[in-house]
Amino acid sequence: MKSLNKLLAAGAMGLLSMSAFAGSETPEGKVQATYPPISSDAYEKFGGKYGMDRWVESLFKYIMLDNRINYIFAAHGKIDRQIKLNQQLVAVMLGAPGVEYQGASMSAAHEEMGITLTQFNAVVEDAYLACEDLRTPYHTCNQLIAALAPFKRSIVTR
Amino acid sequence: MNGNIRGFGIKAATVLAFGASIAAVSSPAQAGIYDAGKVLATSGVNITDGAAGGGITPWAVIAGYETNQGINGSIHYTYANLPNYSLNSLGAAIGFYDRLELSYAYDLLPTGSTFNTVGLLTNTLTGGGPNDTGIDPFNTAIRMDIFGAKLRVIGESIYDSDNLLPQVAVGGFYKINHNKELMNTLLANKAKDFEAYVAITKIFFPLDLLVNVTVRYTAANQTGLTGFGGPNKNKREFRPEVSFAYLLAKNVAIGAEYAAHGKNTDGRGVKVGTLDTSVVGTITNALNNIGVSGPVGNIVNNVNDTLTQRESDWFDVFFAYFPSKNLSFVAAYANLGNITLTPKQTGAYFSVQASF
Repeated sequence: MKSLNKLLAAGAMGLLSMSAFAGSETPEGKVQATYPPISSDAYEKFGGKYGMDRWVESLFKYIMLDNRINYIFAAHGKIDRQIKLNQQLVAVMLGAPGVEYQGASMSAAHEEMGITLTQFNAVVEDAYLACEDLRTPYHTCNQLIAALAPFKRSIVTR
Repeated sequence: MNGNIRGFGIKAATVLAFGASIAAVSSPAQAGIYDAGKVLATSGVNITDGAAGGGITPWAVIAGYETNQGINGSIHYTYANLPNYSLNSLGAAIGFYDRLELSYAYDLLPTGSTFNTVGLLTNTLTGGGPNDTGIDPFNTAIRMDIFGAKLRVIGESIYDSDNLLPQVAVGGFYKINHNKELMNTLLANKAKDFEAYVAITKIFFPLDLLVNVTVRYTAANQTGLTGFGGPNKNKREFRPEVSFAYLLAKNVAIGAEYAAHGKNTDGRGVKVGTLDTSVVGTITNALNNIGVSGPVGNIVNNVNDTLTQRESDWFDVFFAYFPSKNLSFVAAYANLGNITLTPKQTGAYFSVQASF
């Protein structure tokens, strides 16, 4: 029932601001606003900084083992730096205090790469595998998926 | 019945051949137009009308696991076991670039005890000779072909979590019910007709929830299995359908669906020869009005109830399991209410689906 109320409240808010948000650039520098909002304790549930950092490492483990997409990341190089930037990014998106994302905007970082939705979805599937790896519940994992989902518009260009 | 079963076999062969042709497309692996890039379970399942959706309601998702990068498809077989009927649906759907969906389903509804009784009765009345009710004494089976098309118009059901814009699709079905005489007996206006629908789908990840609302423009009685329209008209109307799917895990969903149905033949009888059994209702009312009760009144009332058609909205609760992108299973409890002359049609629903 609480969830339903949240949904209805989000519905009312969303309708008011829908035109403002639709298709707009996703901000990398602050908590992602979603409808309904992601649970406020998501970062904590992911195990705080330590857990979140391990999650990104696990994500990259699965990505680099995923023949659908690993060559893209390999060609880009500097995997350690990619991991570090992604650790900053997911922490910021889930509202971790005192973390700053130091990378380029999602669109600037991906515009030349011609990423397809099929490739983007492969990363999403690897993200769920990383959650399972860290024994992170599906519901908690979905909070992160919701927070990262709007980046699809910046990353997928084909 | 043998003919029906043979027909079903031919349809099965067609559907499998169709599946094989999708598989053939897939053999050049990563290159070419084959694609299976959707996230697991986000293709939905194939409904008994053949389109991608829940169990009975078409959703705004496009069939198959393709994204905008290619083509994919799926085949399904669904069996629902009801007290007086069993519903079999066999079909295939192809998704093109996550934009256009073409589907086909063959629905077979063997009828049970009630139709056997009516068939025996008419058989007796006609002295065992031919009758034009379309009901045989035993094993009357209703057969329907369903051709479907769906176009995803706007929106992104999955990734637009920062706004409330849903994914919207428009679609339609052309349904050909092959039991024309029986449809006449059931007082339906038509045996073939089209339906159109608008479906909107949105996933709310923070709640692990998928919501779908569909409005169908249709004159169907029991999805068309008992024809379209009523005794004197074939007026289409807008009927709402709602689905909720709660995602328990990345490969498991549970949920519920509701689909409003029409009242085209509600309260009407069936037509046997030149007799419309609605007349029985008129007689019953007249007898009740002049105060005839007791055993005679009861018998007349019972006959009236037995021969009166009713239609109910459909409802189901389901459990869907997606062990891989190539295979999914649905188990459901379906409450289809009154179907023509028979009340309380509730039962188990099973569906298996393969994707390529």
